[in-house]
Amino acid sequence: MSARLNLVLVLALGALLAGLVALGSSYFHQIAITTMIFVILSASLNLITGSAGLLSLGHAAFFGVGAYAAALLSTRLGWPFWLTLPAAGAAAAAVGALVAVPTMRLTSIYFAVATLGIGEMIYVTMLNWVGFTRGPMGIRSIPGLELWGFKGIAFALVVTAGVMLAVLWLVHRLVHSYYGNAMRALREDDACADAMGIDVGRLKLQAFSVACALAGVAGALFAHTTGYISPESFKFGESILVLSMIVVGGLGSVYGSVIGAVILSVLPELLRELGSWRMIAVGAVLFLSILFLPRGLVGEVSAIELIRRQLRRRDRGDGGARRVAW
Amino acid sequence: MDATVLLQQVVNGLSIGLVYALMAIGFTLIFGVLNVVNFAHGEVYTLGAFVGLIVITALKPPLWLVLVLVLASGALAGIVLERLAFRPFRRFRDEAALKSKAMREATLLSSLAVSIIVREALELKFSGEMQTIAQAYLLQRPIQLGPVTITDGNLIIFALSVAMLAALQFVLYRTRIGLAIRAVSNNVLGAQFVGIDTTRAIVATFVVGSMLGAVAGIMVGLYQGAIFPNMGFEPGVKAFVAMVMGGLSSIPGAVVCALILGVAESVATQFFSDGWKALVSYGFLLATLWFFPAGLFGFKREKM
Repeated sequence: MSARLNLVLVLALGALLAGLVALGSSYFHQIAITTMIFVILSASLNLITGSAGLLSLGHAAFFGVGAYAAALLSTRLGWPFWLTLPAAGAAAAAVGALVAVPTMRLTSIYFAVATLGIGEMIYVTMLNWVGFTRGPMGIRSIPGLELWGFKGIAFALVVTAGVMLAVLWLVHRLVHSYYGNAMRALREDDACADAMGIDVGRLKLQAFSVACALAGVAGALFAHTTGYISPESFKFGESILVLSMIVVGGLGSVYGSVIGAVILSVLPELLRELGSWRMIAVGAVLFLSILFLPRGLVGEVSAIELIRRQLRRRDRGDGGARRVAW
Repeated sequence: MDATVLLQQVVNGLSIGLVYALMAIGFTLIFGVLNVVNFAHGEVYTLGAFVGLIVITALKPPLWLVLVLVLASGALAGIVLERLAFRPFRRFRDEAALKSKAMREATLLSSLAVSIIVREALELKFSGEMQTIAQAYLLQRPIQLGPVTITDGNLIIFALSVAMLAALQFVLYRTRIGLAIRAVSNNVLGAQFVGIDTTRAIVATFVVGSMLGAVAGIMVGLYQGAIFPNMGFEPGVKAFVAMVMGGLSSIPGAVVCALILGVAESVATQFFSDGWKALVSYGFLLATLWFFPAGLFGFKREKM
């Protein structure tokens, strides 16, 4: 997508935000905040699962690590949110790196199983380490986002939007760079990438830690904006929800992860009338999109497609004399 | 630690381990044939328990009839599952496509989607709570056996699991369809070349695996007196762990590892509180992946 289109998208988002702040009720604000938190989560998961091809089934656990770090730091030590946000990111990245070291030798299904196991271990720890995390009771009255006298849900909306844009920019820069090319090489064939001189282990470790850090930041925002967290929000089902978002949106595409997150977090709200049918609807959307849109709504533009486009453009200059048969 | 208590826990662990083994065989068979993980296997287990529950509350038949009906429903669930979540993604027939990464991930996610739909539909119909089961069918009658107290559920699970394992061996090694299943799991393309109907063999695999899973579901439901829509998740994960520990495509390996898991978990409850119990199997999983990447009983590890 071109720079102009990006600008239009950012402006549209800004207008939407301004409209929400000016007009919206706090119900809409809450939905918008939740959606943006899921956008951050799905963008971060897309970095490892979409671009680097490492299927992670435990992403919600790192989200949870960030949420607990922020909640504990702000309720026990009274840290303000601009300190807990990076601290939560750092905590999640540290835990991610710690568990990543032994699992980085694993590929594909083994890696997925290992992340599933680690995610469940973190969940069980949150649930049972009552002295530290208060277990199933969760942590109550977490202070909201507050800075220079600004507070309330409209301010939270603006802060969340800012963090989301920063995260999207970071992920976009990472994916559309030589670094991103290395990740895609890793996804397509890790042995080949290794032979080409990419340090596969280090790359996996870095990508995984960055994704975990971003999930941790999302967790901190979640803790501060909802004011109450409990282990229930960080279960396996939540990891699957985020995974569904990037599958529906398009694996490996930043735009896809945004669209998938918006669809799958707004859809349940629209279907609130239907009550318990909404999770069935989420499952059905996931199933149908795998069946009919295997690349997602906004699929990743593959490198070969880009080359083809460039050649076509050049060919048009020659009057179409030299068609390259890719 | 009292030796009798330990023995008691080992007996309990063996019977729950056998249930994990029945589940793990379903995973292993399907992984062996299609090289994909079937995430909806836990839901087959839940469905088995619910079909049993419905039959019990509606008809009050003898236990063997319940089991027969559950077996039939498991077979049906296997056929439907294969048709819905796996066959649409098997568009190409060559081996590269059958074992490709894209196909693996697509079926992994499609089976996940089917499992979400099934679980939520059950929750919609029966609500998320524990179901009430007719008292006469609960397998919780205590039997004193020397110093150890077991229930008739232990005995029935033990006998039935051993019978099912024997039947599985018979099907796999003494029948033509078993031969076809083994051929397909060995080499899809080769099986096609010698005229084996691979689709039929794959459907048969799903039928056999799902029958084992459904029976495991109703047995645990009656033994523990707990049938609820989310019951399939935990045994599903445990069976998955057992499969990975056993080396992904080794049935004896999966059975042995399932027994190890069951016993380890139930002995661990002596030392830790119940909540931490789940860490045992995940710890086993990570230790296996770290120290024995080919599984405890796997001989070669195909690059995934």
